[in-house]
Amino acid sequence: MSISPRKVFTITIFITAIGIGYYSMNAAPVLSDDSHTYHGDTEWRTDIDDAQQLAAEQEKPLLIYFWTTWCTYCEDYNANAYSDPAVLEQLDEFVLLAVNLEDNSQQAGALQQQYSANYPPQHVAVTPDGEVLVEINGYAETDAFQGYLDEALEEWERQ
Amino acid sequence: MMGGTLLIGAALLSGLTATVLLVTNYLRREERYLNAVTPLIGTTAGLLSLALAYLTYQFVTTDYANAYVWNNTANYISIFYRITGVYAGNQGSILLWAALTAVVAFWAVVVRGLERRETRLVQGITMGVVTYFTAMLVLDSPFKPISAAFPEMDPGFVPIDGTGLNPLLIDPYMAIHPPIMFIAYALLTMPFAIAVAHFISTVRGENGLFEEWIGSVTRWLRIAWLFLTAAIVLGSLWSYRVLGWGGIWAWDPVEVAVLIPWLFLTATLHAVMNYRSRSTYATLAPAMTGATLALIVYATAIVRSGVFRSVHSFADGGIGAALLVLLAITSILGIGLPLGYWLLREPETASETAADTSQSQQWISRVNLKHLAVLSIGLLGFISVWGLTFPVLNTSVTGVEVEVSGQYYNLWSYPIVLGVLLILGFYMDYDVEGRRRALISLGIFSLSTVLAALIAPSETWTLSNVDGSDALLYRLVGNASALSILPPAAYVCLTVIKRTLEFVPGNPNRNYQLKQVGITMIHVAFALFVVTVTFSYLFTAQSSLVVADADREATIEGSTVHEVPDSNYAVQVSDYRSYQRPEEPNVENMALSSEQIASRGQEIHETRQPVYGTATQINTGPNATVIQLDNSGIWIGAMNASQTELGIERGDQVVGVGTVMWDFLPDMPQSDGVVVTEAANVGPVSNPPAALDQTRVEGTAVGLTVYQNGEQIARGNAGQEQYRQQGGMEVRDVLVDRGLTHDTYVIAAVDDGTVSLTVKQIPLMTVMRLSVGALLLGMLLVLVFDPAHGLARLWPQVTRQQTTAETTSD
Repeated sequence: MSISPRKVFTITIFITAIGIGYYSMNAAPVLSDDSHTYHGDTEWRTDIDDAQQLAAEQEKPLLIYFWTTWCTYCEDYNANAYSDPAVLEQLDEFVLLAVNLEDNSQQAGALQQQYSANYPPQHVAVTPDGEVLVEINGYAETDAFQGYLDEALEEWERQ
Repeated sequence: MMGGTLLIGAALLSGLTATVLLVTNYLRREERYLNAVTPLIGTTAGLLSLALAYLTYQFVTTDYANAYVWNNTANYISIFYRITGVYAGNQGSILLWAALTAVVAFWAVVVRGLERRETRLVQGITMGVVTYFTAMLVLDSPFKPISAAFPEMDPGFVPIDGTGLNPLLIDPYMAIHPPIMFIAYALLTMPFAIAVAHFISTVRGENGLFEEWIGSVTRWLRIAWLFLTAAIVLGSLWSYRVLGWGGIWAWDPVEVAVLIPWLFLTATLHAVMNYRSRSTYATLAPAMTGATLALIVYATAIVRSGVFRSVHSFADGGIGAALLVLLAITSILGIGLPLGYWLLREPETASETAADTSQSQQWISRVNLKHLAVLSIGLLGFISVWGLTFPVLNTSVTGVEVEVSGQYYNLWSYPIVLGVLLILGFYMDYDVEGRRRALISLGIFSLSTVLAALIAPSETWTLSNVDGSDALLYRLVGNASALSILPPAAYVCLTVIKRTLEFVPGNPNRNYQLKQVGITMIHVAFALFVVTVTFSYLFTAQSSLVVADADREATIEGSTVHEVPDSNYAVQVSDYRSYQRPEEPNVENMALSSEQIASRGQEIHETRQPVYGTATQINTGPNATVIQLDNSGIWIGAMNASQTELGIERGDQVVGVGTVMWDFLPDMPQSDGVVVTEAANVGPVSNPPAALDQTRVEGTAVGLTVYQNGEQIARGNAGQEQYRQQGGMEVRDVLVDRGLTHDTYVIAAVDDGTVSLTVKQIPLMTVMRLSVGALLLGMLLVLVFDPAHGLARLWPQVTRQQTTAETTSD
């Protein structure tokens, strides 16, 4: 069997494809492991029951973040609000729960329906009982985002 | 109601008969009942089109006896968007797809006839696909009666209003995007059938038919490419306007899913160009042709089966399993069969002609360069397939969820696109200048690409915001400057145009000239497109502004012009208007008249019904207030409510909802029946109770005047609409000013008089739109005027088959 240039091209491209496949799979940033997902410098719980229970125990409001992997404004959140030390400090006052809108589980679906989360990104600050404090639909610039968080905390204090 | 399902059932019968006749006639080398086949295919196409027309009619007349109609439209929706509701759900879009495929099959059989034996196999496969879709429709019909949605209601129940259409689909681009896409899919069924027939015939020890059908395959592929490209473009324009956040492209799973067949089809077109009978590409070209439909079904299964949820999950459930079976069938036929043939049966030494052999033994030859192009475009396709696939694989194997963002697609695709451009430029140069000079310019342009990648005037110029936590290769590519796109793009433009000037003027063949102009347009447009995408993506500038009292400012003549911080824009609020749809709710859409209630009689006893009429008498007792409607025997009885509580006077138009009770008040002989309810569910028509409120959409439009550098550039509305009965879903209406160098794009989020504006400046959009136009026009020229396989040569004598290969290069 002679090695023609065309075969060399083909084999090279195939090896490249396998290489890309292997490399990209290993290099892909971990989004979530057993119990958390990571956005910017923040860490969010993914188990809905755990998060609700924790919020009740610690008497903190719950911040629910509806997101997807392909949402460009979620990336803006990662780059801006979620990397901002001031925001991170504010977020400490909440129990953070992230719900991937592509999560097909019944519980996630119910939560999406409850808070009408149809598109990413959306944030809803709620009491441990699920009562809405503040909703942030779509993307908010960091200043506005902080304003919403303050509003949620004030509302929470009042109750 | 049964009518529609009967049409589909009859189409299934005629489609199945045609398929069986065609396949058995092919296998047994007979001609039994062959005369019946063309009419049968025509009947199938006719019946499916009729079913589609009937469904459209039901939508236009809002016939809610059909559950599918009820689910996908509503009274307040205009005629135009009632029609688009036809393909808003799964069943309707499958019907559209099936009907179009049947029409394509009918057209092909009319043009080509069935005299030749292999035509029967090709048509048999096409009709097999049509029959499969039709069977899906019989099992899950778009004509299901409304009782399927409301099993608890009495027979004969018809809702007064529908549930509505997905708000995102209420857009002109969205109205034409799906039909165009399904036309492309339907057209691709033909080359699929030809390729599969080719392999079946070859495996059976016959000659195969690709060689003879190459012209036909090429035409089908080109037409399909034209439509598929147009569909993607329309989809992007929709996403640019309506979604209001993703821009033209967001690497949403479904966008990726339609890009995959497009890339693969593009690679296939290049592979088919490389096809020479029984030597070069004897297996690869037909194999790629066959695989395209499998990829389309893969894409559709992703959209419709709910494997991925995305902005596109308009319709899910049910139909997924049937599509997965179809995916298995098309994959076996379109991918498995060619692969099996290649591994097991392909002759060891392909009999290449002497010229071909010497060509392919040289490293640099036209054939080998085209092969490299096919491979590189294929590699681009792989990036997309892999990006869609590996997160799912990874999660199911390890349970760890990994992120695949736009960065993955952008950073891998970018260098490959640069490579594709350099190969393209080299090919075009080589065709004119020969090997030595072409190699020198390739060296120069490659070197300048690498150097340009190192020059980033500012952070904005780098391809991506990468940091230390990203993988090494991502950091490497991400830190490269966007300037690196310019040398390869310039290389392509220069060499393509030079080659055109060399070959085209003075060529006596007019069709050849036109085709070459088309080829030039396609490739130059592609290079331009890549440049504009890169720069418009990187150099979009965004700033925002909050106008606190927009509702008040709107009323002031010459109100404040607000400077938008960090930009050269300024904005003035000239209008602030809240509205709702339907504008004036029609009480007939809301409830039944007293007459209608009376005429339905015992049938609706003890059911909950809405009713309206003029209050002709009002009596208040200790436990209730009763209101007579229209001097009739029908009354509304509000329990535990006084007249003042209800706020209703004699002569008012009243509307309420409650339980119909016949002979409820035996003491009142003038009452035949009472609609029993409570205060909250009764009210004047002018202010109906919440349960009957017809408001579907609450919108706010903010009239804006936009200034740039002190000059007015645009006036128009931006705002938002909330769909109350669809989960409170919000849709933004954006203001776009299309300029020569850049678009100005204003998004407004409104909250009780306060308007948050986001102003984006998106460069080069007009150049991008022009390049896309050139891409489509170029392909149209090639499709029509190609001297070897163009449509133009078929016009005088339609059935003639042409196998002459073009002698000059393409």
